[in-house]
Amino acid sequence: MQEFLHAFLSGSLDLLVRVFLIVVPIMVVLEVFEGTRAFRAVVRAWARVVRHVGLDERSAAPTLVGFLFGLAYGGGVIVRDVRRHDLPRRQVFIMSVFLSMVHAVVEDSLIFIALGASVFWVVVYRIAWAAAVTLGLTALAEAWLRRRRGDGAPGGR
Amino acid sequence: MTGPDDIPGAPLPHPPDGFWPAVRRDLKLGVLAGLQTFWDLAKVMIPAYGVTLALQQLGVIDWLSGLARPLMSALGLPGDAAVPLVVGYVLNIYAAVGSMQALHLDARQITVLAVAILIGHSLVVEGAVLHRAGMNGFVFGALRIVAGLAAAVVANLLIGLL
Repeated sequence: MQEFLHAFLSGSLDLLVRVFLIVVPIMVVLEVFEGTRAFRAVVRAWARVVRHVGLDERSAAPTLVGFLFGLAYGGGVIVRDVRRHDLPRRQVFIMSVFLSMVHAVVEDSLIFIALGASVFWVVVYRIAWAAAVTLGLTALAEAWLRRRRGDGAPGGR
Repeated sequence: MTGPDDIPGAPLPHPPDGFWPAVRRDLKLGVLAGLQTFWDLAKVMIPAYGVTLALQQLGVIDWLSGLARPLMSALGLPGDAAVPLVVGYVLNIYAAVGSMQALHLDARQITVLAVAILIGHSLVVEGAVLHRAGMNGFVFGALRIVAGLAAAVVANLLIGLL
């Protein structure tokens, strides 16, 4: 029990420090640069990419953060934007599926590439797989919602 | 933690005039949003981390690895590869890589296992964050296991063809 407590406390502290050191700078950078033309250009460019999996411009910034830094950090920005912009549930769902399949592309991939995994399979194939799963599940969820409503009306979560 | 919920959350008022006042306001907002997000994440990540530690110390990882062993042949992997896979699911990528070192895998096996672990890992902690964002963390955990294994099976077949 004492061993557990010790591991829990030191591990928690580690986790908190790491999250703090990543989250606060990300948020400051987002907040300071969100209004600038350069940042908006990057987000718009990214939005043109993620449009293909059904994400709109409001979801571009959280997905970009998650894609680059990790699911937890992208999730943090999603929570902020749900609060601030009232992001629709449908967008949160699509983002969650996409980021579940691929996030922290640089860091996570490099760990396995260092072990000898192939760059093509851990990066390119994984992104393609993420896109396919996202499109498939979104279509499934929409079909299921339509059926449950019992009408043919479009729209959804 | 940052006082009333409407500071980082509510729609933003018009920015003040001038460059430096605007930067100062954004810095302040950024720090507040950062602290709020940090708090949001800490609230779900720390209990989830406690759960993962308990699962590990109760021997759940060993038990699950035993269950997963027979599945490994579908991925072209030795049964022992179930250990890093389950370690990755419950703990995280770093722990999974640590337990991969003990196995002698060839390049193709490393790639296939990497695909499965990269899609499914840290399921408890990251599932808790998704739960906080309004999704079902359990469903997403299951999705990542299934989709990750499927991706690895497909990758193993395709690498064999190439």
